[in-house]
Amino acid sequence: MNSRRVWAILRFVLTTLFLYFVWVLFTSDLGLFSLLFGLAASLLTASLTYHIFLPEHEANLRFFIPHLWALLRFLFLMVLSLYQSSFHVVKAIITGNTNPRIVHFRTHLRSDLARTVLADAITFTPGTMTLDLNDDHLTVHWLLCTTTHTKAAGEAVKTKLEHALGRTWL
Amino acid sequence: MIIREILALIAFLVGTFFGLFGMIGLFRFRDPYSRLHAGSLCGTTAVFSYLIALLLLAPSAAIGARVFIILVFFLISAPTGSSIVAKFIWESEDATTQRSSMKREDKSL
Repeated sequence: MNSRRVWAILRFVLTTLFLYFVWVLFTSDLGLFSLLFGLAASLLTASLTYHIFLPEHEANLRFFIPHLWALLRFLFLMVLSLYQSSFHVVKAIITGNTNPRIVHFRTHLRSDLARTVLADAITFTPGTMTLDLNDDHLTVHWLLCTTTHTKAAGEAVKTKLEHALGRTWL
Repeated sequence: MIIREILALIAFLVGTFFGLFGMIGLFRFRDPYSRLHAGSLCGTTAVFSYLIALLLLAPSAAIGARVFIILVFFLISAPTGSSIVAKFIWESEDATTQRSSMKREDKSL
């Protein structure tokens, strides 16, 4: 049993558990038939899709299993900044003071999932929207721009999010 | 029971506020990125507030769990969708002309 095989089995089990959890949450029916049918369907779906759901190169459990407390903190931060940024945009709509620029910077997060979540989260921070994510290079459109310097722009846009995400995933 | 309904009403009002201003911004801004900002961000906040209100009004835990799942999926799908639209503007021919015109009339939206 080599390590590749162990990793494949582990990914299969994790995919099955996740699918079964969603099944139970959706049906919210604890009858025997529902539970057994859900398990069978989860096993079938997981056997077909585990290599897409968890790609093999994501070779660390911390790459996709979040630290629960950090995840909750991150979600709270996200909801807060969602309302904050909407408020900023509404203010920009009323007054008409915008300074749209496109800025580039890099992230040091390592897993695909964390990078994707960072790209999505940047859309929620005041007046920014991700245009492109290429490996670790982000292209961001900034509506209320204050600087075009790469390092300063990166500091302003993503530092807080990156810290919160670095605690959640690797 | 009545507190829940008042909180839901506040959430509905907040959602309507952001939705309305998002719509105004969609017509007020001139370049496609700023329009996308107004449309997607304010739209996301509006729908998010409505879903929070629905979560508050959910009659049972089972329905609440479903609304919660819709909420989580929406938080993933909405920024991804707007990001894809922005990426296609960024890559399209049109955007190059839009970008140069954006530089010229910088202060006038």
